[in-house]
Amino acid sequence: MSKLHLEWQWLDAGESIDLNELARACEMSAAELAELIEYGALSPISENQTEPVFPAHYIAPLRTAGKLRRDYDLDLFTVALLMDYLRQIETLEGQLRSLQARRP
Amino acid sequence: MKYKDYYAALGVPRDADLEQIKKAYRKLARQHHPDVSKAPDAEARFKDAAEAYATLKDPEKRAAYDELGRRPTGAEFSPPPQWRNEHGAGQESFENIDLADLLAALGRQRGGARHGSVPIHGQDFEDTVHISLAEAHRGTTLSLNLRDAEGERRLEVSIPAGVVAGQRLRLRGKGGKGRNGGTDGDIYLHIALKPDPVFRPDGHDLHFDLALTPWEAALGAAVEVPTLDGPVVLTVPAGSRSGLKLRLRGRGLANQRGERGDLYATVRIDVAATLSARERELYQELARISSFNPRVPSSKENLHEQAAS
Repeated sequence: MSKLHLEWQWLDAGESIDLNELARACEMSAAELAELIEYGALSPISENQTEPVFPAHYIAPLRTAGKLRRDYDLDLFTVALLMDYLRQIETLEGQLRSLQARRP
Repeated sequence: MKYKDYYAALGVPRDADLEQIKKAYRKLARQHHPDVSKAPDAEARFKDAAEAYATLKDPEKRAAYDELGRRPTGAEFSPPPQWRNEHGAGQESFENIDLADLLAALGRQRGGARHGSVPIHGQDFEDTVHISLAEAHRGTTLSLNLRDAEGERRLEVSIPAGVVAGQRLRLRGKGGKGRNGGTDGDIYLHIALKPDPVFRPDGHDLHFDLALTPWEAALGAAVEVPTLDGPVVLTVPAGSRSGLKLRLRGRGLANQRGERGDLYATVRIDVAATLSARERELYQELARISSFNPRVPSSKENLHEQAAS
């Protein structure tokens, strides 16, 4: 059994990922990501850079939305809607965990 | 090669239009999706439906499939020579070939790539791991079971200190091997924390309930409290009321940079279920002389948070 002490990438809002890497991680093309940007589902951190850079916390919901797209043959606009809802769920789950911890 | 009846798999007639096929597939996918169904055969049934849909939704693949004729599911057959020539399927033996792989290869050839030359990204592995608070705080080593077409392998990975509940981590290029020059897959972990008998985590902060006697709460006290680093003495100020949060700065969970969250003790005043004669006497004496009425609101009654020593 091999043992890995390699660097994990933390998929947090504070970390960033470039367009090609996001496309690889989410099994989508750059053109598909561009369409998701048009729909407002993804926002690059800065528009000024030659290559868009995104917050790494997009990866988990986008992978989930991409899997649902493949499993149910959904269109890209539906993926954009799913992204919004998945991110809302993630935020609400975080708030729920926080409230449960604070409740005596 | 074994014949598969894709129309039967989706439950549609052979002359079904694309809309019918899509609707039937989505219905089956929803019914048997492994995220939805807990039936033991759900994944296999979902894959069968997906395989049938992958061919029937594509007009050219569907036409090629239809040309193979109709047989009972599972019947051994070999595509006729004319079909092989027409679809560039070669003259090799079809004995150990899966019908789905053959039809998928037709799709790749149409895309301009020779069979077997399309770069394929290695399989990504995604898993939720449950670790204790202490493991999240100090880091830990986990053994992952990775299963793909090449078989099963175990991989021991170090989880860094500072992860929190809901944390997502990625290990690039350590998943399944890519094929035909494709990149290797990645490993994705979703961190879940096991419930702790004492502490409730909120990000890197920790909360716990501090039970006090009525006199400790009223008079103040120095009480021993648990922390991740072992017990410490906490000074409870006089007049501490139920719900008051006492903060121990820097006694929470470590973050990625080695900084630590805070530990919050929430005061809960408890009383003994049974009293001795003397205790009862003292409480009765207190009841006689005290003018305190907790049911009368006061402007000073708001709960507040205090930093503890």
